[in-house]
Amino acid sequence: MPGVFSRFANLISKARPQSKGALNETDEAHAKAGVDRKEIHTICHSCIQACPCIVTVEDGVVTHLEGDPAGPANKGGMCLKGLAAQHTVYSPRHVLHPMKLAGLRGSNEWEQISWDEALDMVATQIATAIEKYGSYATWAAAGGGGNYVSALSAGWPYAYGEPAQMSPGAIQCYLPRSCIAGIMWGGDNQSAADSSLLEIFNDYNPQMECLVIWGGQPSVSQTAQSGHGVADCRVDRGTKTVVIDPYMTPDAAKATVWLPVRPGSDSALALTWIRYIIANKLYDEQFCKYWTNLPFLINPETRFPYLAEEIWPDYVNPSADPNEVYSNPAYVCFDARTNSIQPFPYTAPEDSPVDPVILAEVEVNGVMAKTAGQIYWEEAEPWTLEKTGEYCWCKPDKIEEAIRLYTDAKVAGIAHGVATDQQRCASEAPLGVLMLDTMMGYIYKPGCTITMTNKHYETRPIAYWGPMMRDLWVKQYGISWVTGYTEKWNRERVENFEDKEGQAWYMQMMKDKLGFNRFRGFYNQDTTHAPSILHAIMTGEPYKPRVWYDFSGNKLAMMGNATSWYDALDEIDFIIGQHPIITSFHYEACDLFFPMKEWLEWNGTGSQMNKTFMYTEVVHLGETAHNFISSNRVLRRYRELFKPEDLDNPAPLNKGDYSQDSEFTEQEVRDKVAKTFNAPSWEYLKEHQDEFVPKVIPEEQYYCYNQHLEIVDDGLPAGFPTESRKLEPYCTMYLHMSRTGFPIAYPAVWERLETDYNPICVNIPPVEDPTTDEEYPLVITSGRLPYFHHGTMRHAAFARELCPVPDCKMNPRTAAEYGIEHMDWIKITSRRGSIHARAYLTEAEAPGQLWMERFWNPEAFDASQKEPDGGWRQCNINVLTTNFIENFDVKEYDESDPTKKKNPWNLVYGSFTLRGFTVKIEKSERPDNIWVEPEEFEPFMPTLTSEPVTGDVF
Amino acid sequence: MRKCLVINLDRCTGCDGCVVACKFENNIGLGHYWNRVVTVGPTGTHPDIEMYWLPAQCQQCENPACVHVCPTGASYRDAETGVVLVDKSKCIGCKYCMMACPYGVRCFNEQEKVVEKCTLCSHRTADGSQLPNCVVCCTTGARFYGDLDDPNSDVSKELAKYDEDCIHRLSDDAGVHPTTCYILSPKVAAWKELS
Repeated sequence: MPGVFSRFANLISKARPQSKGALNETDEAHAKAGVDRKEIHTICHSCIQACPCIVTVEDGVVTHLEGDPAGPANKGGMCLKGLAAQHTVYSPRHVLHPMKLAGLRGSNEWEQISWDEALDMVATQIATAIEKYGSYATWAAAGGGGNYVSALSAGWPYAYGEPAQMSPGAIQCYLPRSCIAGIMWGGDNQSAADSSLLEIFNDYNPQMECLVIWGGQPSVSQTAQSGHGVADCRVDRGTKTVVIDPYMTPDAAKATVWLPVRPGSDSALALTWIRYIIANKLYDEQFCKYWTNLPFLINPETRFPYLAEEIWPDYVNPSADPNEVYSNPAYVCFDARTNSIQPFPYTAPEDSPVDPVILAEVEVNGVMAKTAGQIYWEEAEPWTLEKTGEYCWCKPDKIEEAIRLYTDAKVAGIAHGVATDQQRCASEAPLGVLMLDTMMGYIYKPGCTITMTNKHYETRPIAYWGPMMRDLWVKQYGISWVTGYTEKWNRERVENFEDKEGQAWYMQMMKDKLGFNRFRGFYNQDTTHAPSILHAIMTGEPYKPRVWYDFSGNKLAMMGNATSWYDALDEIDFIIGQHPIITSFHYEACDLFFPMKEWLEWNGTGSQMNKTFMYTEVVHLGETAHNFISSNRVLRRYRELFKPEDLDNPAPLNKGDYSQDSEFTEQEVRDKVAKTFNAPSWEYLKEHQDEFVPKVIPEEQYYCYNQHLEIVDDGLPAGFPTESRKLEPYCTMYLHMSRTGFPIAYPAVWERLETDYNPICVNIPPVEDPTTDEEYPLVITSGRLPYFHHGTMRHAAFARELCPVPDCKMNPRTAAEYGIEHMDWIKITSRRGSIHARAYLTEAEAPGQLWMERFWNPEAFDASQKEPDGGWRQCNINVLTTNFIENFDVKEYDESDPTKKKNPWNLVYGSFTLRGFTVKIEKSERPDNIWVEPEEFEPFMPTLTSEPVTGDVF
Repeated sequence: MRKCLVINLDRCTGCDGCVVACKFENNIGLGHYWNRVVTVGPTGTHPDIEMYWLPAQCQQCENPACVHVCPTGASYRDAETGVVLVDKSKCIGCKYCMMACPYGVRCFNEQEKVVEKCTLCSHRTADGSQLPNCVVCCTTGARFYGDLDDPNSDVSKELAKYDEDCIHRLSDDAGVHPTTCYILSPKVAAWKELS
């Protein structure tokens, strides 16, 4: 109904869902006689995982969801986030048509418009801004839950010739752990939530004796998937578990040992484990000698390992590739056989000419040089169990018990969660945690967490330095070093790259990525530094991003220091948001809204372990679109209506990952799905799913181990895709990145940063410290609850009645100090702002420490509210969290002078502090416009079940 | 025949998935539950604490107080399946059964003015074709359904994996003899009798 102005909430119908229930079995059976009832197999996507599930549809309406027993990880389980989709797809909040803002931002007054009109409007806004201000005037953001399209949103801006995109996650979630694992061993990381851990699901060859869950919540975050895997490990396979978490999570409650680590002290705890393992000689010495760079002697001036040729100019490397294609550097070690420094060429361990010493300090060319192992030892040496006990708030004997469980196991592994990504130690802590599995030789074996799937080397392994360690930049733009090849090969590849214009263009894009000049680690997801974008919006320096295409989520609930983003909205000319529902962000910020599909409306494919399943569009309501089709359509319209090549600052069309392998219609998506399963057509596939789905990689092929030992075509063991062909817990690439931008920037040489990125784990203390903070004496940290994923499901009635508000967990002794009783409302204040929460008193928290999940309240703009608001200020911990925009110009870590501003960000990734900062609390009142009692959530119950099922919009 | 649930608390992580699976399956309104997950603890003083989760629903008592007190025969044991049920056509909403139930797992349906409770998803399970929805959806594989008197049932097989000291029933001061069993190993947490 174009042209009708109305409150958004009035646009939806008020029909109640059909009652199906089991209340009158006989009647129901009778009623069902005439019902067209189907069971459809699809995939749940209420979180980032993909649990196969079975949907019952009666007369076109979804009436039942359950997990698919064929799922190798969820094994038929389905969590409440997944089940809630039965409500959210029919929710009165599910927006079914494009909407144009009809009033001022924050008025929540929308006008329904056609997709044509909406696409024209976006294309015009983008083109106008680009014409007027240049291509950097537009930018994109993803993340926050609901539509998981981070790779797409990373590439999308390039199509317009601009490099800025951001996400509330990325540098705050997964990117640091993924990046360092790629650098250190060239493979998958230790994240349970992101499908990197295989062995917790391994029924095929279960060997894991001990699992250390470090700052992760598998039983809460991906409940039916990794939660199920961890339960199987613990109960069926007898795997002992250690959980390192400030809060007693469900996994901690079940753990053999729980270490309630002080928030923000993870890097110190990692050093303690390293110290204990070295001091007690518990590490796998043979593995460390021949498969890691720990025995390499390090030049104290350059901090890089010596190459044999530097010491012995005439040295002939026996492993050098005669064709000068593959790189096999020979390093320098202290050899126990000859008691002297010797060249250390790459060979099979049994063929090595040396017996390298891991811990040594010896004279090399007249200077005293240490091995990488020695450097690690000296860094870790002060961190005794006693000192750490005091610093990390853990009992020394418990730390020792935990380490012993891990080291005494035949095979063990660490599942490293998101916690450290949200602290200043975001690069150092994961390096230390990976160092532990490396030292123990818990690599590439059945039962480790560091493994890879389906990997078989025939030549020396190589690694690309594109996003997610893929070959994107390298092949498409002809830049970046390829690890494993020689300098000659890399130089020639760059020099001979044909598209010089494209090469130069992309190098410029990289240089102009906001924040990339300082935080070079975020190349790993091709993202940018959110505070740097915010700073550019506010100051116009180095340029002003003006038109914001937002792919997903509630940015005001998910971004650190949310108020700083709210305050920037007036500086942004036009904002497009796409999501299944109006969130606080769309309410407060957006000028145009694209209605997105819920996963029950999706087509596509998704994998769980070794099996690939299909999304089967179960229903489709109104004019909802798939998240990538809408953005593709915007780009197409932009190119139809305007001729960007005529602009002064042309976006080089067909550059960027975007749109080259993406679809413009649902039918294209369906055709692609059919092709994936080798089915003759989508229609045939949908009717004969059992014949084609799932597509299975046999377990013996899927699970692969010890590929580094396989002899490849140069007659040597394959090794790893790193410079040394070995694991590199002494991270030389971090040094390179901070000094020249190598290997990403290659062949360009970027400005050397004032501070080296730390090549080893060192202790990085939290930015705010409750032990010295007199004004804000409590520390608060965060985590997940099983009811929600990121910013999703706050409009799911069955989730909200169980978890109406984000209770702030605190120790009863702390509460008593403030006269706070269980379930009292409190006000929590940090240096960024104040929010409210209900106090939940529990011994699961240490005294002086608080814990609270992220939240927003969609009921705040329910039609029944007299004075509606965006619902992001009441109970949202991200009003309290940091992004340190106020410290933007501070570049150095300086702990010595407490009055001096500190660089609050992680040096490599720019990660800021979302967990472990300081606050104060006081008793307060329940805030306005929020619901607490179950019955209050009635307006969130489904109303769209009588909506007709519609055909494709695109 | 003793049809019931066996719930392995060594596996249960308190995710509340079974609560929601039950509500969807049985069309239970806001504020009403046939199944709740009780957080037991943490007991002790930080950091020396322990905690577990106890999903609580109709315990399928062998000597059901609800059946004894029901004035109309609405609360009854089904002759074929042996399951304790409510015949809502006979229920007059007097709530005697709610007062008699020692476990507080019955709830009153305000719209229909009748008492309801877990039926072990009889509409799914009575003919043996399906499992209760909470069992199907359980995210950690902690819930089992079957006949305790059948050694080949899922419940008997799960119980057989554990020693006596790991197998518990809710306290039975009223002498109702609940059949529902909970598995909780002492190494995970000590079983607490709830008052």
